[in-house]
Amino acid sequence: MSMAFGADDGWQGSTASMLGRWAMTAVFIVVLLVLSTFPFKIGHFGEIRPSFMLMAIYYWAIMRPSTLSPIATFIVGIAFDLMGGFPLGLNAMTLLIVQWGTRRQRKFVLGQGFIVLWMGLALVSLGAGLFQWAVYSSFHQNFQPGSLKPVLTSVVMTTVIFPLIVLPLSAFNKSLAERQ
Amino acid sequence: MRTLTTRLTPAVLVLLAVTLMVFHKMDALPVEQMRVALTDKMTPVMTAVSSPFVALTDSFDGIATLRQLRAENMQLREENAKLQKWYENALRYQAENQSFRELLNVKADPALTYVTTRVVSDPGGSFVKSVLLPVGTNDRVSKGNAVMSGQGLIGRVTEAGDRSARVLLVTDLNSHIPVTIQNTRTKAILAGKNTDLLKLERLPQDSGLTVGQRVVTSGDGGQLPPDVPIGVIVEVGADGVFVKPLSEIEKITYVQVINADVDRGLSTGEISTPVDKHSSKRK
Repeated sequence: MSMAFGADDGWQGSTASMLGRWAMTAVFIVVLLVLSTFPFKIGHFGEIRPSFMLMAIYYWAIMRPSTLSPIATFIVGIAFDLMGGFPLGLNAMTLLIVQWGTRRQRKFVLGQGFIVLWMGLALVSLGAGLFQWAVYSSFHQNFQPGSLKPVLTSVVMTTVIFPLIVLPLSAFNKSLAERQ
Repeated sequence: MRTLTTRLTPAVLVLLAVTLMVFHKMDALPVEQMRVALTDKMTPVMTAVSSPFVALTDSFDGIATLRQLRAENMQLREENAKLQKWYENALRYQAENQSFRELLNVKADPALTYVTTRVVSDPGGSFVKSVLLPVGTNDRVSKGNAVMSGQGLIGRVTEAGDRSARVLLVTDLNSHIPVTIQNTRTKAILAGKNTDLLKLERLPQDSGLTVGQRVVTSGDGGQLPPDVPIGVIVEVGADGVFVKPLSEIEKITYVQVINADVDRGLSTGEISTPVDKHSSKRK
């Protein structure tokens, strides 16, 4: 059952293939970072963009925890903070908590179908959105209830788009597994 | 032991992230320099990587039916006729203004120069309202410069590297711009609320504002040039006075960075320029 979505545990193998997987993951993350920061101007997509990074961290935490270690997640989060003009550490913290929390529930989600995986993402995304909003607002000591709206829209957007993003994520998982 | 370390790593890293944030808040870290260094490196990459997406979004915009084109053409013709009249008026006012200036011996404002560029990144998403531009100090863009899109002010440069600049949009929570209401000359601060509308703060009591009045920069604090249009008042109510920006901020693709040193322009004699106490608050 643990193979339900092509999941596997840990990675072994030679140093060469490990480096190959490392490079592939790095490229994949750069693409996610670009997707997360590119100014889409189709309607209001720029404002309500889904959190691609969160989807990937969540998916990997369940399907293939070895893809991204907590240290790598921290580095990605800091890069995202610097690029996006966030308070330093905000995304690093959020992504780490998402990764840690999701890994703890991994066994439960793995045994279920896709719907549970999807609902889990909806919950995680809502939690992460509210958490970031609260931390960001306290950082600037400026609480504006109105500014929650784009956050919630982004949560909905993340949830709606997740089934589409699962396809490239699972393809990426397979190609990593083949290199093992 | 190994499992203990594995278990502790996320907690230690979260703590580290919190510490970084506290240091950032205390201004104990050179976050701005770190950002500038990273964005300077990343901006050329982003420009290259984003070019296929740019082509895609451009072609989306390009799709229009003949019917839509006809309707738009009609609308443009009407608008053009109206603008012709305004153009005549503008020429007349310009001449009149010129002669008044000469009479009053006003030192002319320095001509504003600008750089036009494409927005390469819009990274903040739901929280931070900022965009990255692929121009920097090499193009004479510097911190504090006003940034406009076709219709009005959209923000100002908060960080400038050699090849990149970050623009804090007027809609961001940290954006506070000294403004004037165009016909009444009432002064106020226009604050971003992380929503589509901006709020006028620190208004004098009974300022008698009405929907439809235009809001322009006052130039107080010397950071932005005066009289740059920003928006129009759309709501006057118990919650406050709200302004809709003239530019569709979520859809901007090209912007102009106004990069002249701001000079208040008033010159001769004893006239001193009043400086607003709560001019511009910036993080």
